[in-house]
Amino acid sequence: MENKKKKSIGALLLGKWDTKTIVGIAIGAALFGVLMDFGGIKVTTNTSLTSAYVVLPIVGALFGPLPAALTGLIGNTIADLIGGWGLWFDWSFGNAVAGFFIGLLPLYGAKIDDGVFGVKHAIIYAIVTIVGVAIGFGLVTPVLTVLFYSSELTVTWIQAWAAVISDASVAIVVGVPVLFALAKRNARKTGLSKED
Amino acid sequence: MDQRLFINLSPGNTYLDRLTGKTKVRLFFAFVVLLIATWDMRIILPTLLVTLAGLYSLKAKLKSVRIIAVVVVLSNLLNLFLIWVIDPDYGASVCGGSTLLFQITPHYIITGQTMWYFLVRFCKLMATFFAAMTFIQCVTPSELAAGLYAMKVPYKVCMIVSIAFRYIPDILRDFTNIKISMQARGMELDAKRTGLWQRLKQNVMILVPLVVTSFDRVGNIANAMDLRGFGKNKTRTYYAEHEDGRGDGQMKFFYLALYLFIAVVIVLRIVKPGEFLVWYPF
Repeated sequence: MENKKKKSIGALLLGKWDTKTIVGIAIGAALFGVLMDFGGIKVTTNTSLTSAYVVLPIVGALFGPLPAALTGLIGNTIADLIGGWGLWFDWSFGNAVAGFFIGLLPLYGAKIDDGVFGVKHAIIYAIVTIVGVAIGFGLVTPVLTVLFYSSELTVTWIQAWAAVISDASVAIVVGVPVLFALAKRNARKTGLSKED
Repeated sequence: MDQRLFINLSPGNTYLDRLTGKTKVRLFFAFVVLLIATWDMRIILPTLLVTLAGLYSLKAKLKSVRIIAVVVVLSNLLNLFLIWVIDPDYGASVCGGSTLLFQITPHYIITGQTMWYFLVRFCKLMATFFAAMTFIQCVTPSELAAGLYAMKVPYKVCMIVSIAFRYIPDILRDFTNIKISMQARGMELDAKRTGLWQRLKQNVMILVPLVVTSFDRVGNIANAMDLRGFGKNKTRTYYAEHEDGRGDGQMKFFYLALYLFIAVVIVLRIVKPGEFLVWYPF
């Protein structure tokens, strides 16, 4: 009955680093990368209304915030590599921060694995997502842009806010129904407990 | 879509292909850091030529690169145009001064410095693009993991990167299958015959099964890895990593020199920053 005990916040933040988590992050990152390049409609240069942002809440819900952050970081780097955009590590880290916030799901009691995801969780999720994406792209990315590339800020600024709006809306508008669907799907399993 | 992705599962036969994963990753990393660190055309231009030569030496898949290169060039040009629209005299702040070349309206001017900055920026981004394309075409997922591990990245993270790259062709296969079966059920995917909202809805309808099947596979892959004892030891070795060949010896001199050079460039930029970001020759 070990796993019935309430886990500490630290453990929830880190996630459990077993083989399943590693594979989950990897597949999440691959999906994120491919969808970033091909599953979107262009908004401005460097940003598009991309379906990739559905992946982060799922990874977050299944594995926790740090795995979601890594998914954003590696996924965006993969997208840059295969899409040929050049490497924009400022955006990769922005995605990592946004992913971390989006992946905070287990912290406020949404357990997709056990089928627990209600309206309350959806509202918290929406708020956290907006805050997280705004911090990631509105703050982290522009700061790193100046540090890494000493590039002009005006264009990055426009791109950043376009990214905040489009990514947050995808993460919420598509993400919430997907989370509900996943929770409902997993709810069937709730009567069972794992024997050790 | 398939042609635009270049995940190799077995190494090719050219000079760059035959290097070890360690050498490939170190070389690529050196080029990326150099291109981020410098704004000096005297460094960027040779780098551009070297990366272009690297890409040409791979021969095999140049045709698919050509298609993507057009897209990259256009989007970079658009980006530069946006900068110009926002601040036509941008060059003044990075090169110093503004030599008027051409005037459209009193606000929209074309100055020598701005154009020079755009040229430098364009070359820089194209060099990064060539380096990335060369790297991605000559490395296999396992070699990439081995190379990262040789750079002291924890092997669980290397594994993540390696599985992610390995999984991309599978995603494309699943995507095609889902798309075809959706079309067989009468879904109209022709962009000309459907509106934007309809297309968004269809995107979601393909997306959900794609995401669900992918995550369903996590358990299988994880079990297979556990059965083979993944994660039991602190270190690991890589089957894909062969012994250093002749090319690796030569490239080792090259990348060591390159790292030394990068260190000098970065230290110079911190200790003795020029008055302006970009060196302007005229």
